[in-house]
Amino acid sequence: MTTTFLSTFLRELGSRRNLAASAALLFLLVVAVLSAAAPLLPIQDPLAIDTLNILSGPSQAHWLGTDELGRDILSRIIHGGRISLGVALSAVLLAGVLGTLLGVLIGFCGPRVEAVAMRLIDVFVSLPEIFVALIALALLGGGLGTLIGTIGLIYCPQFARVVYNMTRSIRAREHVLAARSLGAGRLWLIRHEALPNLYSIIAVQASVTFSFALLMEAGLSFLGLGVQPPTPSWGQMVGILKNYIYINPWSAVFPGLALFFVVLAVNLVGDLLQDVLNPELRK
Amino acid sequence: MLRFLGHRLSSALLTLAIAAVAVFLVARMIPGDPVMIMLGEATGGDPAAVARMRNELGLDRSLFVQFSNWAMRLLQGDFGVSIRSGEPVLDDLLLRIPRSLELIAGGLLVAVLLGLPLGILSARNRGRLSGAISSIVSVIGFSAPVFVSGVILVVVFGVWLQVLPSSGYVPFADDPLLHLSCLVLPSLAIGLNFMGVVARVTRASLIDTMDNDYVALARAKGLSRGRAMIRHALPNAMVPVIAIIGIRAGNLLGGTVIVEALFDWPGLSSLLVSASFSRDYPVIQGSLIAIFAIFILISLLIDLAQSFFDPRVRATA
Repeated sequence: MTTTFLSTFLRELGSRRNLAASAALLFLLVVAVLSAAAPLLPIQDPLAIDTLNILSGPSQAHWLGTDELGRDILSRIIHGGRISLGVALSAVLLAGVLGTLLGVLIGFCGPRVEAVAMRLIDVFVSLPEIFVALIALALLGGGLGTLIGTIGLIYCPQFARVVYNMTRSIRAREHVLAARSLGAGRLWLIRHEALPNLYSIIAVQASVTFSFALLMEAGLSFLGLGVQPPTPSWGQMVGILKNYIYINPWSAVFPGLALFFVVLAVNLVGDLLQDVLNPELRK
Repeated sequence: MLRFLGHRLSSALLTLAIAAVAVFLVARMIPGDPVMIMLGEATGGDPAAVARMRNELGLDRSLFVQFSNWAMRLLQGDFGVSIRSGEPVLDDLLLRIPRSLELIAGGLLVAVLLGLPLGILSARNRGRLSGAISSIVSVIGFSAPVFVSGVILVVVFGVWLQVLPSSGYVPFADDPLLHLSCLVLPSLAIGLNFMGVVARVTRASLIDTMDNDYVALARAKGLSRGRAMIRHALPNAMVPVIAIIGIRAGNLLGGTVIVEALFDWPGLSSLLVSASFSRDYPVIQGSLIAIFAIFILISLLIDLAQSFFDPRVRATA
């Protein structure tokens, strides 16, 4: 199923009606390469202060202008992308690994554990995430590690719920029943029957969580609770530069647009993944 | 209906009680001593002063005693006194709750007034250019973070066109017109994001409902496709739309955190953020409880709206 999921996805990506999704994927690849290679690129130092050019508009020297300390905005957006995407990716990894583990284990633990664990998870999922993150970060203090940990843990229950629901339906299938009747233990079933059939749903959920995590990091950094200056992140740049919007309105708009285009692209690719997973949804 | 109402109300109160326990515990688990912050560097070194203050605040008693005292006072409407300003927390909350509710109502209004027609349009013109365009508009709305659309709105309407105030708050009693014009941009910022969600669900649900026999019957009677869609399919298609508003109520409330910071709107969320920075426990607890109460109230209203559109909901309660 894993290989058919991947090949269907690649085939759909090539077809003309999914032009938007393939363009989005290409865009994401370019952004990923730029972010990963940021220190090697021939761009200005994101921390270099230029007091003669404070909050200047787009110019030859600074393509997207400068911020409140005269730092190059283009360079800060590229370096900020490294941070924003890195934090979101790490948070998704944390949520994904922990959530998958939880979901699968709960799915194989028998009805009593299931009922209690899922009740707890439902409570967590229904909490408004940003308030939980806000309190946790304000009181634990900043730092990239705390930020990644908080965002990852917040999206872990959602992940666990999706994986659990799928595990339950896999558990009821004939091939699992066959393996069990041959004497397979729980761990063997998880390893050889459940996990291979979960990869596609994990991919879809990861894409959804990735755009949530990006937005959460941006929102927290915007409020001043996430990534701390001078390290740039997109949300933090908008949060600081919004104060200078009457002097140079562009400066706050550019990092915001960077975030918007990446989230849009992730959502478009995620939609296609979802369509490949559930072809009947596509009508 | 009355039984349904009673059932929902009691479960809402139970949720609120659980939230209160959680809020109390969270505030106690936090590292950092509020007494030290209050006394500051100078007197914080004096153990006698610290002990006296602890006793005054009741922080030296057991957790359970602290909680029951706190809960009893809460029931009497006493939310304690802000560590920072010395003012009663309740006064501040009562002042700010309506302001945040106003933002939420404004955002919801924008989301429904724009999202519903957009969803209907893209369902009706499926496979045509106008349908594709309305779908794209809803994805864009859905993907634009609240503060990005907010900043763009401020730049366009506040800085360039200068037709709307870009931030601030004026009490309704002082200047009703200015008050409402201050509300426009924040409501749009919250609402545009939510609009995408409403449009998407409306589209999917409407396309689904159009497959029903009773819609086919309406068409067979001679009704036009548009009329059958609006008069016969739309009311039934509303159930998932209302449900998603309930499921995403947390996002709507979360949106106020960003929007209040962006537009200097003195609501509940900005109170919570500033109290978090200064570890003002009573204010953190009070504003969290108020936010939970609003969240639970919205869910309750959504449940009632759902039972209005789909009476079967009542039977399952």
